[in-house]
This record gives sequence, structure tokens and C-alpha cells, in this order.
Amino acid sequence: MAGLLDRERTVARPGFNRWLVPPAALAIHLSIGMAYGFSVFWLPLSRAIGITASAPDDWKISTLSLMFTLFFVFLGSSAAVFGSWLERVGPRKAGVVAAFCWGGGFLISALGVHTHQIYLLWIGSGVIGGCGLGLGYISPVSTLIKWFPDKRGMATGMAIMGFGGGAMIGAPLADRLMKHFATPTSVGVWETFLTLGVIYFVAMLAGAFGYRVPPTGWAPAGWTPSTQKSAMITTRHVHVREAWRLPQFWLLWGVLCLNVSAGIGVLGMASPMLQEIFGGKLIGVPGALAGLTTDQKAQVASIAAAFTGLLSLFNIAGRIFWASLSDYIGRKRTYFVFFGLGTVLYAAAPLAGSIGSIPIFVSIFCVILTMYGGGFSTIPAYLADLFGTQFVGAIHGRLLTAWSAAGILGPVLITRVREYQVEHGVPNAQAYNTTMYILAGLLVAGFICNLAVRPVADAHFMSEADLEAVRRQAHEAAGGK
Amino acid sequence: MKRPAESESLEMSEPVNDWRPSPGSWLLVALAWLAVGAPLAWGVFMTLKKAILLF
Repeated sequence: MAGLLDRERTVARPGFNRWLVPPAALAIHLSIGMAYGFSVFWLPLSRAIGITASAPDDWKISTLSLMFTLFFVFLGSSAAVFGSWLERVGPRKAGVVAAFCWGGGFLISALGVHTHQIYLLWIGSGVIGGCGLGLGYISPVSTLIKWFPDKRGMATGMAIMGFGGGAMIGAPLADRLMKHFATPTSVGVWETFLTLGVIYFVAMLAGAFGYRVPPTGWAPAGWTPSTQKSAMITTRHVHVREAWRLPQFWLLWGVLCLNVSAGIGVLGMASPMLQEIFGGKLIGVPGALAGLTTDQKAQVASIAAAFTGLLSLFNIAGRIFWASLSDYIGRKRTYFVFFGLGTVLYAAAPLAGSIGSIPIFVSIFCVILTMYGGGFSTIPAYLADLFGTQFVGAIHGRLLTAWSAAGILGPVLITRVREYQVEHGVPNAQAYNTTMYILAGLLVAGFICNLAVRPVADAHFMSEADLEAVRRQAHEAAGGK
Repeated sequence: MKRPAESESLEMSEPVNDWRPSPGSWLLVALAWLAVGAPLAWGVFMTLKKAILLF
């Protein structure tokens, strides 16, 4: 079995079609992307004992929501810790371990729900599943960049699009499964966890076994690197040990962290913001949200849920669109667009609210969400351009700690600023304005970080002899002794 | 156990850019994309169905 997972066994043979690698990567990313859809379980789990209504011993939604923090923290830390290991052992072994962690996490959570032990949920899906998220997320990145040197952005964009789209499949599927398994004595969640765990395990295994790495020196037929060399795209390689000590790494860390913090902030606010700013106007009734009847509020909530769904579509579309566009306009320019256009749009959102234009308001948020998704999918190619492809998976893994930091910074910032304003008498509908301006400020900081990114100095690149030694070590570690 | 073709390919240092995908591989590509594209399309459809309320 061990031999089957070795990197040596995944080296493609002549005639292999590189377009088989993105669907393998998508199978893994679509599975782990369900992390975004976990909130579909909160309501049923909050009445797991009471069944029809929450009982005193039932879990609070705030307790269950801790899962998202665990996801972000363990995704980033496992990607950072295991990135170098992934580069050594290859994507297949990493993908299989990710399948065991993510699928296994669901099974442990099923046991946790069945026995009503919240710690089993946190450890199962949060900690073990979170490690699966990190490993699964970075497992195809380096491989895709090596298979698509001519379309680095598009290739990683296709995979990372899957992470954004996973909840679109997982959440409605989970909803149907819970309805199917629900009985007078069960809300159907543990059975759903069990089923999803098996489905994701199989899908991720299929993806992991679909991975192939190109032989060293492989290039697409007829493709030659551009003769017009850009200083921002290197053909050499920086060792992961060296990369994370360089200012370029920390500037990109800032770029990712600030872009994601602002995006997470907006994602959390979008739905309540739409409801509180436009209120009855959303359903053609005059008046603010507070003055509506219960039925009218329910209609407004449905429209807000539709808005959230629309945003998730733009989030995944942005992942493939911006990453592909970056192949043509360059990574640095792409992030300039994110931060420049983003600042304008974040600052313009309160204005759209104040003039009462729903189409402009919705359009602004849709464009913002494409740039949030694009920020994730363009960063691996940016890293490959600056540091080379040899260790890009490991470097990307370490950079993902920025996501963990943003996962905490974004929501905390939004919540605190809003609470402070409401406590000081700012009306609910206007309490978002300052927050949007603060988020725009984060983007200005991101713009400056991106502006400061320069090509890596010659001294930091590996020599041919060092590179050869590293490749030989990897070859031996992969079972090719 | 090492397979000769693989160990040779791993040790190659010159660019290898005369590979063409085998003709039969395109059918496999279509099937692989269908396997991931079909559930994704279903997910997008379900989301659009909800999002239509907004318009």
C-alpha cells in the first residue's frame, strides 16, 4: 500500500493528459469546501435533544459556531506545518491523508452527535477535519503549477474554485439527507454526518489517486517560456527555509491577510446589511425592518438568503476569472485591481445604501466577492512567480496562516466596531458605514504591501547544485532509492 | 519498487516538451470533468434557484 502512495508511483508517463489533473484537484477541493456550508447543521443540532424545539441541554448555536474558528486555525497551521512534507512525499499521499482526516472527522462528529458530546465534534470535524482541510487545500497546488507553466493562474484557479463551490453542493445535499433521516426521535444529523463522511472519503480518494506529477523538466508540447522575461517571474527556485525569511513572503502574507479580512468582514455583514438598510423596500413595502410584521420579516430574510447565495456564486466565479486573467495582466497588477477597485467599492457601498439603490448595492457586493475569491486563487501563482515552483506548495502552506489570522481578525473587527457604534447611539442601518470605511482602509494597507513587492534578490535563489541535491533527496525519499 | 521509465523521467533535467496526450485520453478527460462538473452544476442550479428571489 505504501508504494502505491509514493511520489515515484505518481510520475506521469508519456501520453498522459494534463487536463486530468484539475478534475482530480476539484474532487478534493469540492469535498473540503463543505467547511463553508457547516452552518446548515447548526439549527438542527441546536434541537438535537428537544427535536421540535431546543431543550435546556441542547447546544447553543454560538457553541457550535466555534467550529468555523477551528477550521480556519487548523487549516492554516496544518498547511504551514505539513507543506514541506507534502513536497517531499508528493500530492497523492497528502491527498489520501486529507481524505482520512476530513472523512474520518465526519465519522467522529457523527459519534459526537449520537452521544451528544460536543468535544467529539470539535476534535472530529474541527481539529482532525481542519488538518484535512489544510492538507487537501495545498495538495494539488504545486502539481498544477508544474503541469500548467503556461497557465499557472487558471490551473490553480480551477482547483481553488472548488473550495468555494463545495458548500453549494454539500449544503443542499446535507439538507436533503437530514430530512430523509429525520425521525420523531432524531433530527437526522448524525446519520447525515456518517453518509457525508463516506461520500467525501471516496471522492477525495478518487481525487488523490487521480494525481500525477510531471517529470522534472516537463513542459507542454510546443511551449517555450516567454522570451520577454519579466523580472517578477523567475525561472529559478528559492528554498522554503529561505523564502519565509524574505520580505516578499511577509508582504504577500499581508496582501492575503488584508484581502481576506476585508472579504470575510463583508461576507458576514452582507445579509444583515441588506435587510437593515433597505428594510421593507426589498418586498415593495414602505418602512424600516423593525416596523415590519413577522411575515414580512420572513420574506425579507428569504431575499437576504438569496443575496447570500448570489454572493457565493460570484465568489467562485471570481476564483477562476481573476486567476485566469492574472496569467495575462500579471499577478501584481491583478492585486492592484483588487485593492484599488476594492477600496472604491467598499467606500461606495454606504452611498449606494443611502440613495436606496438595491441594484447598485447588490452589484457592488457581487464585484467585491469576485475579488475576495480571486485573492485566494491568484496567490499560489504569485508565489510561484516570485519564489519558483520547486517549493511552492510548502511556501503556499506557510502563507495560509494569513488566512487563519484573517479568519479571526475579520469577524472580530466587524463585530466590535458595530457593537461600539450601536452602543453609542448610531442607528442600526448606519452602523455599517464606518465598518465599510475601516475595511476600505485595510485594502489601502494591502495596496501598499503589494506595491512594496519586488523581485527576489539573486543571492536567495538555490544554486543548480543545491537544486539537484534537493531533487535527488526527494527522489530517494519518494522510494526511488 | 522503482519502475525504470519513472526513475529515468525523474532524473531528466532537459525540458521534455514533445509529449502529446494520447487520443484516447480525451475521453477520460471528458468523463473526469463530468464527474466533478455534474455535482457542481447541480449546486450552482440550486443556488440560482434561491437567488432568483432577489430579482
